[in-house]
Amino acid sequence: MHSVASARRAFAVSMGKVVRDGSRRLGKGNGSAVPGAVALAIDPGMLASLASEIPHGAVLVTGSNGKGTTCRLLAGVMRAAGLHPILNREGSNQLSGLATTMVASSGRFGHLPADDRAIGLFEVDEGSFPGIVGQIGRPRALVFTNVFRDQLDRYMEPAYMTSMLERAMQELPADTTLVLNADDPRVAYLAPDMENPRLYFGIQDTGLARDGTDPTSDFPRCPRCGSELAYRCVFYAHLGHWSCHHCGLARPQPQVRLTKIELLGSASSRVQVATPAAEMLLEVPLPGLYNAYNAAAAIAAATACELHNRAFLAIQRVRPSSLRMERIKVGNHDVYLTLAKNANGYTEVLRAVLGDGRPRRIMLGLNDFEGKQPDTSWIWDVDFESVCGLIPSPVVTGNRAYDLTVRLKYAGWLGATKETTLTTEPDPVRAFQRALARTPSGEPLWLVSTSIVLQEVRRWLRQQGFVREVWREQEQLAGTVQQ
Amino acid sequence: MKITLGCLYPDIMSTYGDRGNVATIRRRCEWRGIAVDLRELRLGDRTEPDDLDLIIIGSGGESQQRLVAADLNEVKGSGIREAVRQGAAALAVGSGFELFGQYSRSGEGAKLPGVGLFDAWTIGHRAILSDQYGSLTEARADRAMGDLVVRWQDRLLVGFENHAGRTYLGPTATPLGRVVSGVGNSGDGTEGVQLGNAVGTHLRGPCLPRNPALADFLIAAALRRRYGDVDLPELADDVELAAREVAMQRARMASRARRGRVILRRPARRVGPADVPTGGS
Repeated sequence: MHSVASARRAFAVSMGKVVRDGSRRLGKGNGSAVPGAVALAIDPGMLASLASEIPHGAVLVTGSNGKGTTCRLLAGVMRAAGLHPILNREGSNQLSGLATTMVASSGRFGHLPADDRAIGLFEVDEGSFPGIVGQIGRPRALVFTNVFRDQLDRYMEPAYMTSMLERAMQELPADTTLVLNADDPRVAYLAPDMENPRLYFGIQDTGLARDGTDPTSDFPRCPRCGSELAYRCVFYAHLGHWSCHHCGLARPQPQVRLTKIELLGSASSRVQVATPAAEMLLEVPLPGLYNAYNAAAAIAAATACELHNRAFLAIQRVRPSSLRMERIKVGNHDVYLTLAKNANGYTEVLRAVLGDGRPRRIMLGLNDFEGKQPDTSWIWDVDFESVCGLIPSPVVTGNRAYDLTVRLKYAGWLGATKETTLTTEPDPVRAFQRALARTPSGEPLWLVSTSIVLQEVRRWLRQQGFVREVWREQEQLAGTVQQ
Repeated sequence: MKITLGCLYPDIMSTYGDRGNVATIRRRCEWRGIAVDLRELRLGDRTEPDDLDLIIIGSGGESQQRLVAADLNEVKGSGIREAVRQGAAALAVGSGFELFGQYSRSGEGAKLPGVGLFDAWTIGHRAILSDQYGSLTEARADRAMGDLVVRWQDRLLVGFENHAGRTYLGPTATPLGRVVSGVGNSGDGTEGVQLGNAVGTHLRGPCLPRNPALADFLIAAALRRRYGDVDLPELADDVELAAREVAMQRARMASRARRGRVILRRPARRVGPADVPTGGS
């Protein structure tokens, strides 16, 4: 019986590998979900049994925004601590994507290579979390970055999302540490009845709080009693120092705290971090408050895994991942590809790039997903108003470029200054060529958009020889670790 | 000239980019030199029927609906009905529209009493929050979701619909328009309700930015109450209409796919009203 099961698993893994190699040889590049789907079809238990072979267990990272970057930062810390993280490719964060990761990591006979330093680090799509959580044996920590309104047509409203997540969390073993964002009331009070250890992270430095409330926020009600929440300060959206005057529930005191944050323009920030064990100054190589939160989440997860705090410094050397402020040299321009897929993401990216009030060249994109996620109403919750006039001659692109143009018109962008001539060009490559042509020599160009536009521009840049394929780059990254 | 715009529960019923409707009214007034006095009416705030020229309520999820239903009935309801009776304009979108009807019932869930402005009621198949769905996929399958195109007077309105409930009209209700593509109220070919200058609709996206004619209808109606008939100066709506065109093209492709025809070529012709196939449900 046992040998039948292991033969089936070996067959599942080898078929997955065949599909993976085949799709690469055909130049399809990623094939990131299909090999896993094939392997799961042959052996539905392959993910669970392979995951249970990882000696150091696994860390799961989920939430609306910042999952990928948090994983990237945490992977750096894990490597510096001498561990070998097995991580799924960014965005391949549903069941089949995780299965592909395990197919790629295991040998031909359907087992992981013996490595007593291996640890799983999985980015998990919040909608797929219920189907995945039971398959990952021994999760050391579950990291929740935040819960925003995201893809309402796909994930429904946040209240539905959090109740579904809470039900799924009941499957966690009692010793999994819940690493939670204290500043997000939806996250901080998740599954209050579970007795698992909780480790909170949050921002203490109120110097960067916004004046008044954030126009882009959808303020949640008190997660316990449903009353209106009071905020002592708001960092962005609904993240801040909150409390309920009605039932007395309040933001928990975080154990991992950012006590001082200094935003250094559109590239990085300097943060003072306090953990139960240490206090240190870090330069986060990514801009904006949202990335400071990602760094705090990564440090909190590393703390939960009891990694040595010297390893935290590795965060300073992490390179931005593909499409997250990824920098590509094109002629004498630095081109930054920046993914923004929901209202808060878009707003925070614009604030990070334009935070110092200096004008910058930006191409803005919006696409729906070929009928799959057709609702783009969230662009009306992006704070385009406060950056009006800061982007000279903006170019707008994507298959919903006209929807975005209407949005910008009503934000006052058309005719905001005499120089503002806005161009709408739905084709991403043509739009990019135009935007690049009108960017003065030597100046950087940012592309801020939902994913398809960025992928199309990236593909074109690759054809022109400016960038490597994502999987080759990641493979090399993984290779350097294993040496 | 000035209009007073009452925005109901901006902090609660604003889930689907509903701020865009308010922004559209404000800008289109501003471009014509019409002042807008924006009143944000939250839980506990009364609606004074003599003050308000235009009332807007947006959409929220089930928990938000439950939150505002009691306040709508006990605090704001009579003011809203009276204002509309006196000729005020109103726009109620999505679940805000459902709450402006007689009641809204979610499957086996509770029955939420509505304002009773419209002779309409909404019945959901199953309550989203009541754990009756095993998965997101199952919950989504029960919803009317996609581009919605509606014939209203001599024009087409476009939007995005996303609702689990089906809205049924009573004998005294007049639909806002006929469904050209999508589901609309209940799949019976009607969409929304129009009562005097009050409009209830499932059109989101948000509703007004891509439908400037509807926005101007509401502005003209709001002005009429104080100033009589006013000729609104035309505005250049080329980008709005371009965005509308994109939505109509998508709706046409979705209709074709639903009718089982495989589309092997790109739609080359411009979409005009006559090109959009009829028959929604």
